[in-house]
Amino acid sequence: MDLTHIHLLLNHIPTIGFVIALGLFLTSLVSKSDDLKRASLVLFVLIGLLSIPTYVSGNSAAEAICAGGPKAPACDDPGLSKALIETHEGVALFAFAAIVLTAAFAWLGLWQFRRMSRPQNWTLTVILLLSLFALSLVVRAANIGGEIRHPEIREAQEIITPNVHFARRIGALVLSLPWSWPSLETLHFIGLSLLIGVILLIDLRMLGVMKNVAFPALHRLLPWAILGFGTNLVSGMLFFVASPEQYAQNVAFVWKLILMMLAGANALYFTVFDEAWALQPGDEAPLSAKAVAVSAIVLWVGVLYFGSMLPFLGNAF
Amino acid sequence: MPLSLAVLLVVLAITAIIAALGCVIDKSAERDERKQGR
Repeated sequence: MDLTHIHLLLNHIPTIGFVIALGLFLTSLVSKSDDLKRASLVLFVLIGLLSIPTYVSGNSAAEAICAGGPKAPACDDPGLSKALIETHEGVALFAFAAIVLTAAFAWLGLWQFRRMSRPQNWTLTVILLLSLFALSLVVRAANIGGEIRHPEIREAQEIITPNVHFARRIGALVLSLPWSWPSLETLHFIGLSLLIGVILLIDLRMLGVMKNVAFPALHRLLPWAILGFGTNLVSGMLFFVASPEQYAQNVAFVWKLILMMLAGANALYFTVFDEAWALQPGDEAPLSAKAVAVSAIVLWVGVLYFGSMLPFLGNAF
Repeated sequence: MPLSLAVLLVVLAITAIIAALGCVIDKSAERDERKQGR
């Protein structure tokens, strides 16, 4: 099993999952159900996390069907369209950005649920508009993705039109600007410091350090961690689109992605569940919260390890 | 412009945007908590 299988396994989740999440969200707005709203926001966040491996594994799938890699002039198989694959990748990058942005605001909604009893109206409006926009892009990306292997549903124009390869154009821009790579590297470290700093504070409190601090005080810092995560996602994705061949077949990158998904889902515990929120100064955290804290530390150390080992275990740089 | 200066300016500008975003979210939480009397 390689990243191509992962792409085939995951590529329906952003499309179908997003329709389900949006349906739940719209129903929650009409029925004014907070439980339904919370469930739909959690779904948006999980789909946002899963869209990361869905997007990056697409490069391996493209390399597998177009032997010679992304720089190959054309696919060997005459039934395939290189232009369609490149268009799919470009639209998928837009769709991915819109999904992740929706997921970020959905997380903010969950955080506001906890702090203020309900999300603010502007947050819900932004989620609604972003999710509708994201859905239109996801449907387009999925349709073009299907046409790659199904010539019977292709429109003649799409086979011959050499569509602009948006993802590669962004990547080429990153590589052509001499200041972009070192700036992105620095921002990746700043994002990492924000993320790990806040996560460690919360996890250490769960494990009994700083017991005189109530959890709600630390919970207020969580948006800084999400801003750090967002900074790293954007800078990381720019690295990826600039030089996908360094990552697509890199075993350290695959492990980094897996651990990042698990760590991201783990962070939901401190946003959604009640146990940690109830901790007042001097309170001992329950065993489940301690277990989540230990697993979070292990997962993030794993993400750091495999990120640093990209050139040593894998073939990057 | 030397490369190191360009990198520094880009990083400072983006970090300032991130910090501003964080402060806006935090202030809005503080305002709402005060409204709720917590």
